[in-house]
Amino acid sequence: MKCVRCLEDKARVVAKAPDGGGDWEIYKCDHCNYGWRNTEPENITIPEKRDPRFQMVGIDLDTLLSPCAIPPLKK
Amino acid sequence: MGFRDLRSFLEKLNEEGQLINYDDQVVPEPDIRVISRAAVDMGHTGPAVMINNVLGHSNAKIAVNVHGSWANHALMLGMPKTTTLKEQFHELDRRWDSYPGEVEFVDNAPCQDVIIEDDINLLELLPIYKVNENDGGFYLSKASVVSADPDDPEDLDKLNVGIYRLQVQDKDTIAMQGLPFHDIAIHIRKAEERNEPLPVSICLGVEPMLSFMASTPLKYDQSEYKYAAAINGIPTELTRDLNGLPIPAGAEYVLEGEILPRVRVPEGPFGEYPGSYSGARQQVIIKIKRVTHRKDPIFENLYLGRSWSEIDTLLGLNTCIPIHRQLRETMPEVKAVNAIYQHGLTVIIATDLRFGGYAKSVAFRLFSTPHGISYAKNCILVDGDVDPFNLEQVMWAMSTRLRGSKDVLVVEPTPGMPLDPCTEPPGIGCKIILDCTTIEKPETSTRDFMMVEPIEGAVDMQKILTDMHRTVQKA
Repeated sequence: MKCVRCLEDKARVVAKAPDGGGDWEIYKCDHCNYGWRNTEPENITIPEKRDPRFQMVGIDLDTLLSPCAIPPLKK
Repeated sequence: MGFRDLRSFLEKLNEEGQLINYDDQVVPEPDIRVISRAAVDMGHTGPAVMINNVLGHSNAKIAVNVHGSWANHALMLGMPKTTTLKEQFHELDRRWDSYPGEVEFVDNAPCQDVIIEDDINLLELLPIYKVNENDGGFYLSKASVVSADPDDPEDLDKLNVGIYRLQVQDKDTIAMQGLPFHDIAIHIRKAEERNEPLPVSICLGVEPMLSFMASTPLKYDQSEYKYAAAINGIPTELTRDLNGLPIPAGAEYVLEGEILPRVRVPEGPFGEYPGSYSGARQQVIIKIKRVTHRKDPIFENLYLGRSWSEIDTLLGLNTCIPIHRQLRETMPEVKAVNAIYQHGLTVIIATDLRFGGYAKSVAFRLFSTPHGISYAKNCILVDGDVDPFNLEQVMWAMSTRLRGSKDVLVVEPTPGMPLDPCTEPPGIGCKIILDCTTIEKPETSTRDFMMVEPIEGAVDMQKILTDMHRTVQKA
């Protein structure tokens, strides 16, 4: 399914309401790692209604800041 | 004096009228953050809240705002809930010398009452929710992460217990932010240099002093467990996880796993304690292999956002004490340090003056302490008889002692805190000194003024009037 944040078709269901009542599902995007629940309001769950400043469409994720750099291997 | 687990602290809060039970059903988003925000906005006599009915879960219990008020903070210290912040500061400082306290390994630890090794799904097991609306996912915001030094895994002093932001991304994977000046970053670096995973245990719902110490800037080889024991006055009870890591025996949940070496994944953004979102980052990833928990576990989490929120109280006095002690090593004139604002981004120091200009030297020392280097950006100095926790007194000092042309110093560029939205680029900032102390020789002034005298008997009279006031209120 389509990720509501990066719009890649790489999202999937990762959790369902554990009481079996079907009240909610949680999705995860395997591209940008965004997580959301289907009961969140439309300004989170519908791409066109989301705040554009939080969208990550077409962003090269490898260029994101990495606070903890990978060190050189010790020989 | 102290509390051996979260449950016994919640019982104490309940006895003191500092706990309310919210039993109406909540939808995880936005209801839990609404309750958390409201609770902390009730101010410094506000209660912890137990949320007992969560849509989709049959037996969830969530505790929020446990450290959300100075009243609850006083109770954590075993002091009356009406204790002032200055009194709590001095009591904590007094107990700091009791380090190290004792640890005790126990059998049949309640944190291992229930063990889950197969089909782990953290997003179903934990009643987790989105803390702020535009967070990148579902965060643990009050979890103590335990890790050992790969060179000395048995060394309890080099063992680290720290609170770091954790995005539960998938059924059994969690992304974590460790900043370079955090102790866990040392453990991660050593493991990654060898291309080895780093075992970790993520402990939720620990006793309140351990959460406090896990967010305190200690030296690398100082033990959070032994400090908690020292301040509490009772041993910290521990057991071992499947990797042998010492973990708190009374924790509500323990998520046991390892940081995968030399892997980074997109994580975030996350609404951080300065009240703004920090951007999406490339962070380490933790694979969870086993979950243990108590019977009827309580999921404790914390709201953080625009100040004042629970994280400000949690990080408040534990930021002050180390700075206070480091300053007093060479500057015994320092009387008290108020570094509660955004984990020490703004610091107010009360100090006597050894000679003219001394207060500015105290500021320079602040800016070279291990925490102050990157965090302390605004330093306000007041005289030793001004209460730095009483902002009315601080503002009086600023109003009547600050000379704009002589007492305002700006130094840049300096190290800065990346989460401070003013640092540009992130991590490069500016420091400012506002010297609101009196003039001391050999500095001179043409103005001579006489302060009004302190009024003898007023303190004793205050007690008399307080009793009279209480009587009138009861009538």
